[in-house]
Amino acid sequence: MNIILLLIPLSIVLLGLGIAAFFWAVDDAQFDDLDTPALMPLAEDDGACATMRESSAE
Amino acid sequence: MNPTCFHCSENIPDGTHLAARVGAHDHPVCCVGCRAAAEWIEGLGLASYYRLRSESAQTPVAQPDYSAWDRPELQRPHVREISDDRREVVILVEGLRCAACSWLIERALGTLPGVHEVSVNAPARRVRLLFDPVSARLPELLQALAKLGYVAHPLTADAVETLRQQESRKAMKRLAVAGLGTMQAMMYGVAIYAGVFNGIDDSVRDFFRWLSLLVAAPVVIYSAGPFFSGALKEWRMRHISMDTPIAIAIGSIYFASLISTLLRQGEVYFDSVSMLVFFLLLGRYFEMRSRHRSSDVVDALARLQPPIADRRTSSGWETIGVHELLVGDVVRIAAGATLPADGILISTHCRTDESLLSGESVARVRKAGDELIGGSIALDGPIEIEIRRVGSETLLAGIVRMITRAGSTRPRLASTADTQASRFVLRVLIAMVLTVVAWLWFDPSRALSSALAVLVVSCPCAFALAAPATLTRAVAVLARRGVLVVEADALEVLARADCFVFDKTGTLTHPDIDVAAITVHRGTCNDALAIAAALEDGCTHPLAASVRSAARGLEIPCVSERENARDGVSGIIGGTRRYLGSVAFVASRANVLRRDDADDALVLADMYGEIARIPLREKVDASATRIVAALQTQNLQCELLSGDHPGRVAAAADTVGISKWIATATPADKLARIDALHAQSRVVAMIGDGVNDAPVLAGADVAIAVGHGAALAHASSGILLADSGLDGILSAREIAIQTMLTLKRNLRWAIAYNLSAIPLASLGWVPPWLAAIGMSASSLMVVGHSLSIGRKSRRRAMQPDRIILETPVANS
Repeated sequence: MNIILLLIPLSIVLLGLGIAAFFWAVDDAQFDDLDTPALMPLAEDDGACATMRESSAE
Repeated sequence: MNPTCFHCSENIPDGTHLAARVGAHDHPVCCVGCRAAAEWIEGLGLASYYRLRSESAQTPVAQPDYSAWDRPELQRPHVREISDDRREVVILVEGLRCAACSWLIERALGTLPGVHEVSVNAPARRVRLLFDPVSARLPELLQALAKLGYVAHPLTADAVETLRQQESRKAMKRLAVAGLGTMQAMMYGVAIYAGVFNGIDDSVRDFFRWLSLLVAAPVVIYSAGPFFSGALKEWRMRHISMDTPIAIAIGSIYFASLISTLLRQGEVYFDSVSMLVFFLLLGRYFEMRSRHRSSDVVDALARLQPPIADRRTSSGWETIGVHELLVGDVVRIAAGATLPADGILISTHCRTDESLLSGESVARVRKAGDELIGGSIALDGPIEIEIRRVGSETLLAGIVRMITRAGSTRPRLASTADTQASRFVLRVLIAMVLTVVAWLWFDPSRALSSALAVLVVSCPCAFALAAPATLTRAVAVLARRGVLVVEADALEVLARADCFVFDKTGTLTHPDIDVAAITVHRGTCNDALAIAAALEDGCTHPLAASVRSAARGLEIPCVSERENARDGVSGIIGGTRRYLGSVAFVASRANVLRRDDADDALVLADMYGEIARIPLREKVDASATRIVAALQTQNLQCELLSGDHPGRVAAAADTVGISKWIATATPADKLARIDALHAQSRVVAMIGDGVNDAPVLAGADVAIAVGHGAALAHASSGILLADSGLDGILSAREIAIQTMLTLKRNLRWAIAYNLSAIPLASLGWVPPWLAAIGMSASSLMVVGHSLSIGRKSRRRAMQPDRIILETPVANS
């Protein structure tokens, strides 16, 4: 049972990190437009694909 | 049926043979602008735009001249300097319709040299550009947007970080903290409640209590902050309304639980108080979202004001930014351009189109010395005006302010529900005091815990959630069906409406000229059309638009001394005065026709007699008959009001199946009819095209506008049938009725729950775990019930008289 004395504070720290990440995302305008990003992977994007292929080839 | 344009999906006019080469195929397009846009998109390798898009593109307009945007004075209020090689500008983009548009803009502008970053916010129709002022010039960037077919309006820097965005971000953060905090508190709560049944070591229980206290602290202090600051404000004003009771409830539950934790006895309610805050915030968040949606109107009006003006100097003319204008400056306005500010006309006379400001579609004739309003369009030109009012003092700025204020007021239903919630909490506080007093009489040791149980088990969040959740769901469902609800209150009235009044032209029928059947008495058919189009130039009536589109591609002559009347226009072309209009109009002016001629065609004539006769045909909207029949089977009265010929109105009424119609009605007659219906205590829904009917729409209980673009600028319409056409009326009514029923059931449920739970709690029979379950279940019931709107279309035929939003709490 004593393990909860470690795990629970750990979960609270993680919770704090999660909230901090969410705050950053909101301030970074990640939630202002929820429609456009959904289309991004559908597009044949030469530029982005090329860099991805390069990095995966390495 | 004409083929439609590949780029903008408009019908391609007869005789146009243009094609754009996209993806190794030739596609038909309607005009040079569309061809240029399509081929440029193809040239950039972005042709997948045509696959991705869900809405057709806007027809590109004539390329505006953006060169003035090079001037530093003009750039200063719009462009923000971030570092030496980085400038930021935010642009409102007209025609940004779907996510594919933002994809296209990001790619197309991203390829330009000197552009660091392009980010598009599609819902707000804003594009943010980071660029290098040396290698990229602002006019080129704006030109690039225009080439894609979008009209760009750079926004002033203070509009960049809008209040709306800040409000929405803050609300999202508060909601996230409350949600996550609630989840954690509930987890620890479950551990504590398990201990109640299975036994738990006191030290472990205290450990979990301290943890709950910790995670509930940010929820109460940060997320519930608006309730406390609101309560403080109300206390300073010595006026108790919404926030005070809620703040007292939240504060006292948390404080009492804190004491219990410190003293290691009694009960704690950290999970319940977090949940309470979360559900209350959720209700406010829903309501904020629906409020923000209506701000399109403000954007539409803000677009009206041009950013630049031509000012007279001692040596000639210079182009300056509108913010540099001073009272007393003389500015020149080209034909078809928008007036930058309010002023006095110096030129001898001109015609102005004030339709977007007043809803009046007939051009106004102004003489020297008359006052002109910024935002109206000069139809003749160039004209010169002397500026009288600038900036925030102009009439347009006043209208924008008014609409902004209207947009920031809460929907009546939501504020009624909020008042109900706080009244309810006030009653609960009274019940709590009574409980304390009663228990002090019988058993003082149980007074505090029972009082707290009353406070916790009562669920104001069900009231606070009911209206926003139902309305948000209803508005979202309708938006998916192509119906825009501009004012949420319109739904409430629509559910009760028992009389539907239709406008004919532009609503039930679409007038069209029959080009093939033109009878020409003198000259050629093309000459006649060109003269007609010249006379109708700048007029927004649907007929004028179809005359102009029929004459597309012809050389349009110049018109001078134009005069407008209700049923016709005249002007001097090539030294002769020409008349175009109804038979009666031409007969009264030119004296070349018999007055008793019953033909309802457009007649073009001059002093020597008739030149051509353009017959009209009228297409009755395909869905009109079905909709009228559907409304009538629900025992709803349908009427037709029109300013048109009795013959045509009767024919249209007969086709769609409306028995009651009034023809040759002026706007005043239409208003009088609506007042007469009001006098019979009818609830009137008026359906019009939103441009010519603005005053009549405003007179009805609920106004439904069929149309696009310009109609949005009219705050007088509560519901806009944007893409759906007339079919939207039935969906809107069905959803409105469902919404009101759902709302009523939600409120009933909330009352029933509270009436049964509170007495039990005051007797001390409700332990904390039961209170937590009861409160969350009642809130979830409300949300879940709201989500069912739009799913059960089987329950279509509801009796409208049952759907009146009662305020049972206020009476209890």
